[in-house]
Amino acid sequence: MSTTNADEPTGAKPPSSDRQDGPASRVHKRSMQTSKRVIWGEKVAAWTITVGGLMVIVAVLGIMVFLFRVVLPMIGSGSESGRTSYQLDVAQKIQWFSADEFQTIGTVLGADGEVVNFHIPTGRIIARQRFDFAGRNLSAVQGTLERDRILLGFDDGTLRFARIGVTSATTRRDALPAGAVMLDSQDQIHDGQVFTAVQTGDYRTLTPVNELGAVEKLSDAAIVALDYRVGGTVERPTISFASIDALGQARVSQSRVQRNMMTGEETVRTQTVDLPDMGLAANAKVTGILISGTADRVILASDDGMIYRYDLRVFDRPVLAERQRIVPQDVSISAMTLLGGEHSLVVGGSDGSISVFFRLQRSGTNSADGFELVKARTHAAMPAAIIDASEGQRDKSFVVTDAAGNVRVIHSTSDQVLFNFQRADGIDVPARAMIFPRSDGVLLVSDKGAVNQWRYSDPHPEITPKVLFGKVWYEGYDAPGYTWQSTAGVDTAEAKYSLMPLIFGTLKAAFYALLFGAPIALAAAIYTSEFVHPTVRSTVKPMMEMMESLPTVVLGFVAALVLAPLVEEWISAVLLGFFALPMGLLLGAFIWQALPQSVVLRYDGIPKFFLMAASIFVTGYIAYRLGPLFEHVLFHGDFKAWTAGNHGSGTPFMFLMLLPLSYVALAYGFRRYFGHHYRAFLDGRGRAGAGRIDILRWIVLLAGACVLAYLVASLVTALGYDPRGNVIDSYQQRNALVVGFVMAFAVIPNIYTLAEDALNAVPGHLRAGSLACGATPWQTATFIILPTAASGVFSAIMMGMGRAVGETMIVVMAAGNTPVMEWNVFSGLRTLSANIAIELPEAVKDGTNYRVLFLAALTLFIMTFIINTGAELIRQRFRKRAFAL
Amino acid sequence: MHDTPLQPARGAAAQAPATSGRRLLRLTADLSATGEPALWALGGALAFGVILIAGFLFMISLNGIVTFWPKPIERVELASGQVIAGEPTRAGRYRVGQDVLAKLSGEQRAMVQAQDGYADRTLYKTANFDLYGDDFRWVSDYERKNVTAPNDFYLFERQQWGTFVGRIKHLAIDGKPAAFDYRLMQREQSAARKRFAQIRQIERGDIGAVNYQLDQQRLAIRKAVLRHGEDSPQAKAVAARAQSRIAELNKTFAGLQERLKEIRAHDQRYKATLEEVGGRTVDLELSQIVRFYPANELSMIDKIGIYLSRWWEFLSSEPREANTQGGVLPAIFGTVAMTLLMVVFVAPFGVITALYLREYARQGRLTSIVRISVNNLAGVPSIVYGVFGLGFFAYTLGGGIDALFYPERLPNPTFGTGGVLWASLTLALLTVPVVIVATEEALAAVPRSMREGSLACGASKWQTIRNVVLPKALPGIMTGMILAMARGAGEVAPLMLVGVVKLAPALPVDGFFPFLHLERSFMHLGFHIFDVGFQSRNSEAGKPMVFVTTLLLLALIVAMNAGAIYIRNRLKRKYSGPQF
Repeated sequence: MSTTNADEPTGAKPPSSDRQDGPASRVHKRSMQTSKRVIWGEKVAAWTITVGGLMVIVAVLGIMVFLFRVVLPMIGSGSESGRTSYQLDVAQKIQWFSADEFQTIGTVLGADGEVVNFHIPTGRIIARQRFDFAGRNLSAVQGTLERDRILLGFDDGTLRFARIGVTSATTRRDALPAGAVMLDSQDQIHDGQVFTAVQTGDYRTLTPVNELGAVEKLSDAAIVALDYRVGGTVERPTISFASIDALGQARVSQSRVQRNMMTGEETVRTQTVDLPDMGLAANAKVTGILISGTADRVILASDDGMIYRYDLRVFDRPVLAERQRIVPQDVSISAMTLLGGEHSLVVGGSDGSISVFFRLQRSGTNSADGFELVKARTHAAMPAAIIDASEGQRDKSFVVTDAAGNVRVIHSTSDQVLFNFQRADGIDVPARAMIFPRSDGVLLVSDKGAVNQWRYSDPHPEITPKVLFGKVWYEGYDAPGYTWQSTAGVDTAEAKYSLMPLIFGTLKAAFYALLFGAPIALAAAIYTSEFVHPTVRSTVKPMMEMMESLPTVVLGFVAALVLAPLVEEWISAVLLGFFALPMGLLLGAFIWQALPQSVVLRYDGIPKFFLMAASIFVTGYIAYRLGPLFEHVLFHGDFKAWTAGNHGSGTPFMFLMLLPLSYVALAYGFRRYFGHHYRAFLDGRGRAGAGRIDILRWIVLLAGACVLAYLVASLVTALGYDPRGNVIDSYQQRNALVVGFVMAFAVIPNIYTLAEDALNAVPGHLRAGSLACGATPWQTATFIILPTAASGVFSAIMMGMGRAVGETMIVVMAAGNTPVMEWNVFSGLRTLSANIAIELPEAVKDGTNYRVLFLAALTLFIMTFIINTGAELIRQRFRKRAFAL
Repeated sequence: MHDTPLQPARGAAAQAPATSGRRLLRLTADLSATGEPALWALGGALAFGVILIAGFLFMISLNGIVTFWPKPIERVELASGQVIAGEPTRAGRYRVGQDVLAKLSGEQRAMVQAQDGYADRTLYKTANFDLYGDDFRWVSDYERKNVTAPNDFYLFERQQWGTFVGRIKHLAIDGKPAAFDYRLMQREQSAARKRFAQIRQIERGDIGAVNYQLDQQRLAIRKAVLRHGEDSPQAKAVAARAQSRIAELNKTFAGLQERLKEIRAHDQRYKATLEEVGGRTVDLELSQIVRFYPANELSMIDKIGIYLSRWWEFLSSEPREANTQGGVLPAIFGTVAMTLLMVVFVAPFGVITALYLREYARQGRLTSIVRISVNNLAGVPSIVYGVFGLGFFAYTLGGGIDALFYPERLPNPTFGTGGVLWASLTLALLTVPVVIVATEEALAAVPRSMREGSLACGASKWQTIRNVVLPKALPGIMTGMILAMARGAGEVAPLMLVGVVKLAPALPVDGFFPFLHLERSFMHLGFHIFDVGFQSRNSEAGKPMVFVTTLLLLALIVAMNAGAIYIRNRLKRKYSGPQF
């Protein structure tokens, strides 16, 4: 481009050659060369404008790429950032271990009471201590979810509480003790304390704290298994634990600590109940016991594959609610744990299988409390028997270890294996693993003190394409489904990120908007372009264009605060209006036909248009007055109660739905079979006379349509179909009807202007030719103009749809924002756009919700991109064709 | 429909020989050819659309215009013996629910049944939120016993707690009790309002300035520490200087506080004791009364005065009572500032693209792609721009700017969050297609002859564009700008993500260097509508405000559109004539 531009100024040369022929004496000699400045200016301008023009493409692509870039990390899997392994110097079998949230200090407890605090990255021992068990042998250990408070069970039936682990404090940078020794690149040790530099320049200080509580007698036999939970609030904690002794007696104890606000005194009340006999098989052994934090549920598992669930909602009266075999015959339950939130039970079998169970209310179950453990998921099996399962504290992930030394981190809800680790050493030794409290690593400690640490980062373990677009079975739900619930009422409930209800809501809103908007806009466009005087057109069109830039927040406000209550109060009149308005217009048309020719010719044009408007007003008023009567006759006087299915049958509604259809069918049938006779019959009667007869025909057809529609509706009802519970269901004030109607208001100007432009672009000579051949304007419009402009009109509708899909404020304000998937006209919805507007301001940057909302935006972008590009391509082709005609 | 319209006419003519042209005309009786019912359906749709638009504008205007007109106060005795007083705001018909019907007395039930189960009701604005816990009350016609319009009822607009409806019991002037006298109270109230303005000025203006400077000093210290290190001599020097300045400022601050206390103490001595219809009383400082008037004793001139003064307050003051009362000046300011800033960004981009499309590019595949892109920019939902603006402008660009230039303020974001700059950039992206399309149209309207003339005179292409084409197209380009402004001013969804707030602490322009604070969040008329209508404690109480704000926003946008259309029409007329 730039070369041709630069050439043009040099075109000034030829005149110079002309001048040589003329009298040259008076001409002041000057350079005929185009100045450098002009040439350069030319080049710069051409370059700038070309680049600037192409920036539009860059902008569109840039938006898409940016959105994609934000979304991408969510789809990718996590990455392992490091691993270490070493052997701890311990003499006895390791019974329990824990680690702090910074992955700095780990603590192990040996069978003889030896407690060792060690530096996790290097394996260096920081402190060593021995709990004095006074000659008793440790027979069972279990910790709370955080693993630092533990309960020790002994072979003489006694229990002791203990605390192992570290406390965290901050040391100012000038208070760092002299003589601290570097452990590794970031940690320093001094006097049994570990100092870690943090961002502010101060030091995080971790100090080992290991304490053993007093002896408490629980049973006469050895304690076999334990579970221990701390629940309640910080002010009023409850401690619950379940135990089973060698005689098979299971017990549950609960302690409530009450702190006196005035004196700070603590009182502890402990209650213990014996659980009823579980009916263990003769040769079976209990392999695990679990208790919920509120001590209302206890679950035991035995090595013959049975599971026993106790219901303790009435604490004094425990009930064996359910006993069930949940793994195949000959497989034993070798590990189990409750995931965070205590809804999901993870069960690992000796065959390496891992399954997740929900406790759900089921009818027809033979359990004592109406609940049943239902298998919700089966995760991919491990190669060998599961020997340990441990839950993450932050999300629904857990780590399982098998007998062959495989360690696997699994996210339960998204059914995804996050990491697969392999122990390198001493595989034959049983080992157990834990997920670090921040879900950023796994610590594995074998019974003999071999330690493996894996560090990883996986910021979005809960997201997979299946979670976003497929059915997922969430905790507490009866069945898998599409659910959007990004913020839950309870802390322990997980966020649910299915985009399907939002996409559905978007399409539903757009569908109803187009259902109302497209016919009106198209009809109005055809009328404006073909049947009115240009003066009407030149006032109506700018008005519509102005409507296009009306703020949708205004429309939304009117929809929600004015229209929605009005429609709710007068729903019967609105419903009647849908039929009365077209009926009124048709009646007007037939009366108009019957008028004498002189009147028709005289009042054609603008007066006729005003008559149409008047007909709308009149029928609107009639609908308002007759609404209650209409409701009384068809819906037993209360439409809203009818929609809820309280009374009546589906016939009246089906009758209304079928009425237009049967009218069209009858009219078509009449024309098809009697059209010729009818025309012959009308011949020679003159326009007005024929019109009078035509009114009769219309009324007969209408009556026939009513009868036909009612018959078919009754038949459909008799066959058992009821629209309620499907397209029609209980009425909510902010519903799709109102949204569709107001959104139609937003898309009408859009479709109208584009369609009108397309109709107008049909070359005038086609119109003139048709009219000259004797076609009426109506025939010209239907047979010449519309077919020619069809593609342009279609692209107008697509553009309108693009607008409806992305509309935000109207839906935010008027749609109720319930993410449900139902076609009910009278229920609310939540669209992608509204969802973004509501949730993104509160979403944490780079969090899962943030990225999912970006994905929602990307989805919206792609949806509209496809619609708009398609529409534009069609429009470009149409223009080319229209100009070629 | 398959026959051509001529056939029946010819057929008819064959049966009855045509004697004259008139006779032939009469015979053309095929009704389907004129498609009258279909025509009425089409025309009806157009009429319906026009009625909708007109009705919509009419409803908004009507509601907006009457809002500020002072209404009378009615005292209503209910059948239950309760007495309420308030402004009747609106009335409507409703269907009486079964549960309500069951509780009514026989007489009342008969009244409802006489109207087919419907009843009329009136919504009274009883105000006095601090006493009743609600602002409004529906009164059905069957529960109303007696309605009067007592002259001693006043309406008070208070600084806090919204309006109050009731009588004035007595006054306290300068600490001494005084009998109520309307003139006296008016005089004292306007004096008290002046004191209130003074307090406001000290609180917001003077103390605000001190706080701002204190903040600046603290930031200066932090900046020096970050740049030179904590123990460096430079940082210490800055800290020492700042500390002495801070001490100075603190002294000024204490002085201002003292003065504030004085005025407040004086202000406490002027009070009115108000009594609501049920007899409960409320003590109120006169300075807390924004406006009061005897609602049932107003002359027409009084009413017009109140009406105009309310409009003036609306346009010139800040909101109060969680935005449901007072004015919208910050929102107007924010809207205008954001829109103007947007035009600064959108103008060059839009014009350059249009120039490329119309003057430079060869029409082909590339321009087709550009046009598709333009179309996509126009069609992408506005909320997506908001998402992009938040993620790219605010977090990525803004975060980068913060890390480079404002490290001392971290972790508090400066540019790294929504603000007027990012909002206008986002909207610029959104409105650029409008400018492109309008500019293209304007460029196309410049007669070819002018271009050719310029080129023939030896001007280069760019010279032709700059000196001939662009000046001629300028009105058209302006049309595009105005349309873009209209579109941008009405857009709310993306703004919710990139910097609009319900109550901005400060305007984007103020007296502190650098005077224009592009990083600040701002208020917006459109968002104001959303906020007041949907986020306030009582949407009914905010409704009048919403209607007036809507009217204002609509007027703004309609005016811009009308202006654009006017310019365009003039332009068309100018160029449709013969070219030279």
